Amino acid sequence: MKTLSRILALLLLAQTVLAQGIDDGDPLLNRPAERTYDIILESGYLKVGVYENFPPYSYEVDGEPRGIDVELGRRIAEEMGVDFIVHWITPDENLGDDLRNNVWKGHYLAKRRLADVMLRVPYDKTYAYMQDSTGEYINEQVVLFGPYQQETWQVAYNPEKLDSVETVAVFQYHPIGVEIDTLPDFYLTSGLGGRMREQVQHYPNVREAFQAMREGEVSAVMGMRAEIDHELAKPGNADFKAASNGFPGIGKQVWDVGMAIKHTHRQLGYALEAIVDKLVKSGELNELFASEELRYSVPDYYREFLDQQAIARAEGEL
Amino acid sequence: MRSNKFGIRIAASTLALAVSYGAYAVTDEDIMNDHKTPGDIVSYGMGTQGQRFSTLEDLNTNNIQYLQPAWAFSFGSEKMRGQESQPMIKDGVMYVTASYSRVYAIDARTGEEIWQYDARLPDGIMPCCDVVNRGVALYDDKVIFGTLDAKLVALNKDTGKPMWIKKVADYQAGYAITAAPIVVKGKLITGVSGGEFGIVGKVEAYDPNTGDLLWTRPTVEGHMGYVYKDGKAIENGISGGKAGVTWPGDMWKNGGAATWLGGTYDPDTDSLFFGTGNPAPWNSHLRPGDNLFSSSRLAIDPDDGSIKWHFQTTPHDGWDYDGVNELISFDYQDNGKTVKAAATADRNGFFYVLNRENGDFIRGFPFVDKITWAKGLDPETGRPIFAEGGRPGDPTVTEGTKGEPVLAQPAFLGGKNWMPMAYSQDTGLFYVPSNEWSMDIWNEPVSYKKGAAFLGAGFTIKPANDDYIGVLRAMDPKTGKEVWRYENTAPLWGGVMTTAGNLVFTGTPEGYLKAFDAKTGEEVYKFNTGSGVVGTPVTWTMDGEQYVSVASGWGGAVPLWGGEVAKVVKDFNQGGMVWTFKLPKDRVASN
Repeated sequence: MKTLSRILALLLLAQTVLAQGIDDGDPLLNRPAERTYDIILESGYLKVGVYENFPPYSYEVDGEPRGIDVELGRRIAEEMGVDFIVHWITPDENLGDDLRNNVWKGHYLAKRRLADVMLRVPYDKTYAYMQDSTGEYINEQVVLFGPYQQETWQVAYNPEKLDSVETVAVFQYHPIGVEIDTLPDFYLTSGLGGRMREQVQHYPNVREAFQAMREGEVSAVMGMRAEIDHELAKPGNADFKAASNGFPGIGKQVWDVGMAIKHTHRQLGYALEAIVDKLVKSGELNELFASEELRYSVPDYYREFLDQQAIARAEGEL
Repeated sequence: MRSNKFGIRIAASTLALAVSYGAYAVTDEDIMNDHKTPGDIVSYGMGTQGQRFSTLEDLNTNNIQYLQPAWAFSFGSEKMRGQESQPMIKDGVMYVTASYSRVYAIDARTGEEIWQYDARLPDGIMPCCDVVNRGVALYDDKVIFGTLDAKLVALNKDTGKPMWIKKVADYQAGYAITAAPIVVKGKLITGVSGGEFGIVGKVEAYDPNTGDLLWTRPTVEGHMGYVYKDGKAIENGISGGKAGVTWPGDMWKNGGAATWLGGTYDPDTDSLFFGTGNPAPWNSHLRPGDNLFSSSRLAIDPDDGSIKWHFQTTPHDGWDYDGVNELISFDYQDNGKTVKAAATADRNGFFYVLNRENGDFIRGFPFVDKITWAKGLDPETGRPIFAEGGRPGDPTVTEGTKGEPVLAQPAFLGGKNWMPMAYSQDTGLFYVPSNEWSMDIWNEPVSYKKGAAFLGAGFTIKPANDDYIGVLRAMDPKTGKEVWRYENTAPLWGGVMTTAGNLVFTGTPEGYLKAFDAKTGEEVYKFNTGSGVVGTPVTWTMDGEQYVSVASGWGGAVPLWGGEVAKVVKDFNQGGMVWTFKLPKDRVASN
């Protein structure tokens, strides 16, 4: 009887965890738990912050978290010998907001809810050490570390409508879909003196832009390379192709993506960094991307000290 | 009909019937006469025109020193932040909202709670602009308000139990409701709040008894309006005629223009007046054109939602100058002729007087000390004459550099923000709660969003003067002259009320409820409520005594922004109370 009730209790707990993560904050003081490295090991779980509804990085399929960031989170937790618990992030207006809401302070409507580590955080020293108008470091509450991938921009097109995409100039004449309020949106709306503006069609995400391409509304779609590759791998999009054009004047062509923790949790950061470093160098991360039919590039961070052979290994070319 | 005996008898028996059911129902007539009936407050604006003028004169400049606290009520729990509500009063009961979509019914004589309703907000909700609520609508036996997850909730006025709940828009798409809905001719009218991208503003009418949608009117050019009959949507014309006239490409599909501050109603012209927010996206260089109907005032037919006229205060906005501020109807005499006018003090720093019958521009003038983004208004049309170099730069053309910052005054929080001004029928003056601040805007060289490189703008708000930001101003709508001013250290963020007792009331972030001589601006009363006052005061009469009430609790948009303004307000403590004052009967004779 005792065993049975214990099993029932465990089942209940498991369900709660799946449904809404774990509430381990202080209910009396209404603040998040201070989860240092030792406390995480002792508690037996790691809360990994990933963006919700964001394929191929992190999304849900039948209530199960999926995607390459989710899988990376799972492997990190496995290496640490703890359970993986997903912490879904509703994106706010910019990265600074997401870090505040999920890494160091908590959102004011959910003050006890923080991730132990957040993934898909751009790794950029200029950003990390940005100062405000009074000289204060804007991101001093967090540590940005552990770059694990390099991301870039990509166009996919419908060869029935366009022979090829040599340069973005073709989008003066052909409709192109973008996710609203993203850099591709701004780039195509203002680029070439605004001459592509009338052709830009806005969608809530890349998936819906591809839907519009299947329906003939647009002839191309621009987004992040992994998003585009993910769509191109779907059977319904088999007729579409990845373009090889550049994006002159886009500001940022490529950027590294890593992790973020609260600045008081550096010991956790060192442990995570070592795990991710191994996953990158061994080529395991490349395999993970390849298994999802996505291209993988090692971060610039590694290109500064790894030799060509080591980079080739990390990118699965050895 | 109403003046004969028969009519009176019918009215009396209806009243008796209502009493026997234990319910003094709020009628359309009560709402339309609200400005003339100081025994109750059954409309947001103390009258549907929004003048916030009380005919009561028991309390006046001669006896206000005897105004004393009658009771104070705590909203409770750890939820605080901005309390921007305007209380309503009906039959000795106060209905007031608080932050986080909460509603309270309070015995207006004693301050005892009758019931409380806490809206259950979903997990993962991300309201764009603090968790404020500005008040309820009363109709029949219902108390109706909007929630942060963009629903309308109708509660029974006696029990606080929900009678119907209706989703107005999808909170996951970025919508919310913070304004008080209004009831006009048996229809419940609401706008929507929304974030910066992907949303389209709208004004909608619902059946207050059932929550059924009656009509919808999108506030961005190109979207179809509908009237609903027997559950069927009937097309009622595209806003602005057709898409793409004042917007490039498909940008009209996500044009912004949120109607987040609600509206007023003028029975003389049978028009709803709603303002609209700024256009999206924020970078104006991406969307050449006027971008209708963003940053505008709209006159809307309450029967079917048709747009009668519009007046755009900031065409092609690039400064986040929302055009939502209340348009107040008022009449004035010009060479012996009555002019049916309406006035508004815009975020952009200009005060506009319009012909409320057709939206024609009568005159406009700055109500703040300095405006940098425009050189003035076209005297014929009221259209701004843009200043050279006054528009923030295009982040997409300054690759990787900060570029030259552009100074703009007023700051994006506006010469005046949401807090309603008041119009005195006695002095003929508008009392405008305003702020003197500027902003620096620059292109953010490094910016990221949802894991991706991005382009954003950075900005900081700066006080325009060393010793004050807030200015309560008495403005003459006929001449544009500032008759008097009161300067306040912190920015003003609370609404204003004026009375026939020659008084003007408002609150300050320092915690004071203050009263001023309406003619001279002399400060005649102050009382510290313990936290910043960003609510809107009201006054009414009960048992032969005049009462004044105001919500207290520092918050709203100001503390969300840093910069140099933060230095002025960072030590203010949050709160959550409603304070009620009265002038004891025996003091009325003191004047």
